[in-house]
Amino acid sequence: MIAFWVLAVILLASAIWCVTASKPVYSVVALLLHFAALAATYLTLNAEFLAVIQIIVYSGAILILFLFVIALLSSGVAPFSVGPNRLPKIAYPAIALVLIAVGFLTWVLGRASVAAPAASPGGSPVGPAGTAGVFGSVSDFGTALFTTYLLPFEMTALILMVAVIGVVLLAGDQTPYIATKKRAEDVRREMREAILREGGQ
Amino acid sequence: MNPMTVPVANYIALSAVIFFIGVAGVVVRRNPLIMLMSIELMFNAANLLFAAFARAWWHNAGHIFVFLVITVAAAEAAIGLAIVVTVFRSAKNVDVDDVALMKG
Amino acid sequence: MPVTMLHHVMGVDGYYPTLIALWLLPLAGAIVNWAFGPQLKRTAGPLGSAAIGASFVATLLLWGAATQHSADGALGAHQALFNWIPGWDFGLLIDPLALLWALIITGVGFLIHVYSIGYMDGDNAFARFFAYMNFFVFAMLTLVLSDNFVGLLVGWGLVGLASYFLIGFWFFKPTAVAAARKAFVLNVVGDVGIMFAIFAIFTAVHSITFGDAFAFAGSYGTPLLFVICLCLFIGAAAKSAQIPLHTWLPDAMEGPTPVSALIHAATMVTAGVYLIARCAPLWSQNPDAQLLVGTIGGLTALIGAILGCAQWDIKRILAYSTMSQIGYMIMGVGVGAYEGGVAHFFTHAFFKAQLFLGSGIIIHALHDEQDVRRMGGLLKKLPFAAWAMGTGVLAIAGIPGFSGFFSKDQVIYGMLTHGPHSHPWLYVLGIVTAGITAYYMCRLFFVTFFGAYRGDVDPSSLGIRHPELAGTPPSDHEKEPEVEHSPNAQWFMIVPVAILIPFTVLIGWIMFGGENSPWAHFFEQQFPHPALNVPAISEGLTGLITFAVVLVGIGIAYMRYATASAQSNAVERLRSESIHMPAILTHAFGFDYALDWLFVKPAEFLGRFFGRWLDPHVLDGAVRETVISAQWLGALTRSFQTGLLRAYAFILVFGAACFIVYYALAAGGFH
Repeated sequence: MIAFWVLAVILLASAIWCVTASKPVYSVVALLLHFAALAATYLTLNAEFLAVIQIIVYSGAILILFLFVIALLSSGVAPFSVGPNRLPKIAYPAIALVLIAVGFLTWVLGRASVAAPAASPGGSPVGPAGTAGVFGSVSDFGTALFTTYLLPFEMTALILMVAVIGVVLLAGDQTPYIATKKRAEDVRREMREAILREGGQ
Repeated sequence: MNPMTVPVANYIALSAVIFFIGVAGVVVRRNPLIMLMSIELMFNAANLLFAAFARAWWHNAGHIFVFLVITVAAAEAAIGLAIVVTVFRSAKNVDVDDVALMKG
Repeated sequence: MPVTMLHHVMGVDGYYPTLIALWLLPLAGAIVNWAFGPQLKRTAGPLGSAAIGASFVATLLLWGAATQHSADGALGAHQALFNWIPGWDFGLLIDPLALLWALIITGVGFLIHVYSIGYMDGDNAFARFFAYMNFFVFAMLTLVLSDNFVGLLVGWGLVGLASYFLIGFWFFKPTAVAAARKAFVLNVVGDVGIMFAIFAIFTAVHSITFGDAFAFAGSYGTPLLFVICLCLFIGAAAKSAQIPLHTWLPDAMEGPTPVSALIHAATMVTAGVYLIARCAPLWSQNPDAQLLVGTIGGLTALIGAILGCAQWDIKRILAYSTMSQIGYMIMGVGVGAYEGGVAHFFTHAFFKAQLFLGSGIIIHALHDEQDVRRMGGLLKKLPFAAWAMGTGVLAIAGIPGFSGFFSKDQVIYGMLTHGPHSHPWLYVLGIVTAGITAYYMCRLFFVTFFGAYRGDVDPSSLGIRHPELAGTPPSDHEKEPEVEHSPNAQWFMIVPVAILIPFTVLIGWIMFGGENSPWAHFFEQQFPHPALNVPAISEGLTGLITFAVVLVGIGIAYMRYATASAQSNAVERLRSESIHMPAILTHAFGFDYALDWLFVKPAEFLGRFFGRWLDPHVLDGAVRETVISAQWLGALTRSFQTGLLRAYAFILVFGAACFIVYYALAAGGFH
């Protein structure tokens, strides 16, 4: 119980800091903290596999990606100075209204009663965390993933491939494929000269 | 076996609050990178809810769903960042308000 | 429809090809003249006249058929034309009343057509004139030969149209165009009156034929019958220039003189008299309507006569005299003295046509001079015109022996014999008006023919304020009046007038003898004969009194205009009379102003209101506002498309929040 409240405070504080930080790097660090607290929360919920996945994928890959992009965009002059705010003034009272709705929603949902079954309908045995084969363990998760939920798993593979192709197309090197090494060197020389001629960008 | 010590309503409330903090971040901030990070916040709030209910009902479908969400969020973040890089590669300021080309 | 027509023609109803020819020949003449005018050139005149002449012959041939009784006791010859819808049967009917009118229309019409060949000689639109005249005769025949109200109304409207064509014949004169329009508008008011009467009759009887309408006469009920008679009289008053719808007649003199003779003297303006005489069965049932019509006729007679004393244009004097004489006719047929009123129509056709045609000879000879102040001394210069005008004046004044005496006397006496308590006031009014008539007609004659010729006198010294309006004055180098040069044209004008003179003088004798006269016999089956009052004053005594008053009128006119002393300082006398003419007379008792303020100005105001305010501001404004509101709506919707990513994101979230709140409440049962 205490764990929940402590973690809740950390989650909220880091989320707010992430959104309101002045520099993007601060936001990334705040987000890192948020993900760590989230992993701890998963642990309290008997989802140890998820906690690890959270750390590895989210903190370890996605946030690193963000850092790379921040570094890439910082090469410009004053990259993070901003111009005049063009959002209409009505936005701010509207956001307040939305947050009120949030509070209302929370209140309503808090009054819902959720019945909890004794045994696990998912079929996994229930036991303390850390035991093999119980709910939330790697084997339990893997069994479900590769039997009942095989199709979504394959589709996520497809999605990831599409994402990779898309990123390469969007932001990748636009040089066409060169058949021979010599030809590639010639092309690269021409491109350098063109850039130097136009004064670089 | 043992029911949750923390009532699930708490997790619902927490998840909702984090979600709307993410929303506020998307709407208020003008840096596209911060906006993407806020979107990640929203994803994670949803994940938290899935995990909480998986525990409440002892059903591992919630875990599967979190896995899928993480995967898709990763793909989406990659593509979003690629777009940001492409659009703002040669921009003076990294400000989302400057790309209001669809006005009218 | 042709099959039906053939069945009717060959079938049970009578077959009168002469009647159809009588009706349609003038139309054929009109169409030929219209279509081939430029090719016909001068032969349009004889062609048009021949068409009317043939119609006249046809009318004479139908005399026997018109005065006979058919198998079922109906009077006259009936030719059915076609059925349209149940209750609407169109046909032609010629009975003694229609026969009389047809004789005048075609007979006097023929003479006037021949006269026009001479009068309109040299005019560019020669053929068009005869086309219009033939069309008028056709329309008038439609009016008098129809056996039903709707056919009569069609003829009614068409003669109004023909009148519009002919008054505005010289359409390059703005005064003529305005006069034509005025006549037409006032006539349309009458058309509407007759239309309402037809509605009322059809609602009651479900038929439009005269026979059915009159057979039902006793069953209409007094209020409805009075309304019908009133509406019919509105039509008659408009067409026959009775008060208060008479203002178009003096202005109608803008048309050529033959037009004034045919339409505005002999035939069209008597259509109202025909209508009342035709609907005699209706009027005889309703003494209130009879009183109304008789009174208005009498007032018109008096007012027309008074105004005739104040005119200086020869044609306007004759116009007011026409109005006054038709007042007599209306008075006669109004109170129920149908033979008298129709008799006065008959004699008036002759002497008024003669007066107009004679004045046309004078006008032509003086090169379009119409103001009598600039005439004078024409006894020696235009002797034939003097004979024509002189006999006409004697006839209209009612000198015993001349035609006008007999008919006018019948009308005046009828005021005492007809009516529940007779009409003594109308009797007195008729006699007084006869005296005034004698006065102003003799005034016309004396001023025109006696004394020295005044054509070369400066117009302003004669009291003429607007010489350019009183016809074209003779040019400066002409000191004496000249007869029109083209010799043949002169004969075309003289012969018809010469034919008319014996009629004017003698035709009245067919009315001599009261109940036993040929005239009475001719009409004895036509009109209802209610019981007559036996007045204290006999018909002979009435004639004597009238003659005495007429002599007084002639005497006054002689004193003022014809004595030697009057002739010697004629210029000075005419000038002083012109200057001291009371304004109320020069403005014709203000009827023009009254009608203008009552109807024209409100109509103009309405027109301005609708055209200048309502249409641009309200109607166009509504359209504009629709456009503007569509544009505003579009702008409002467009304002959401800011192009700002964050705004779009916010709207997404806002919408999602709404859904969430709604479903949370719905699932939670709204508590």
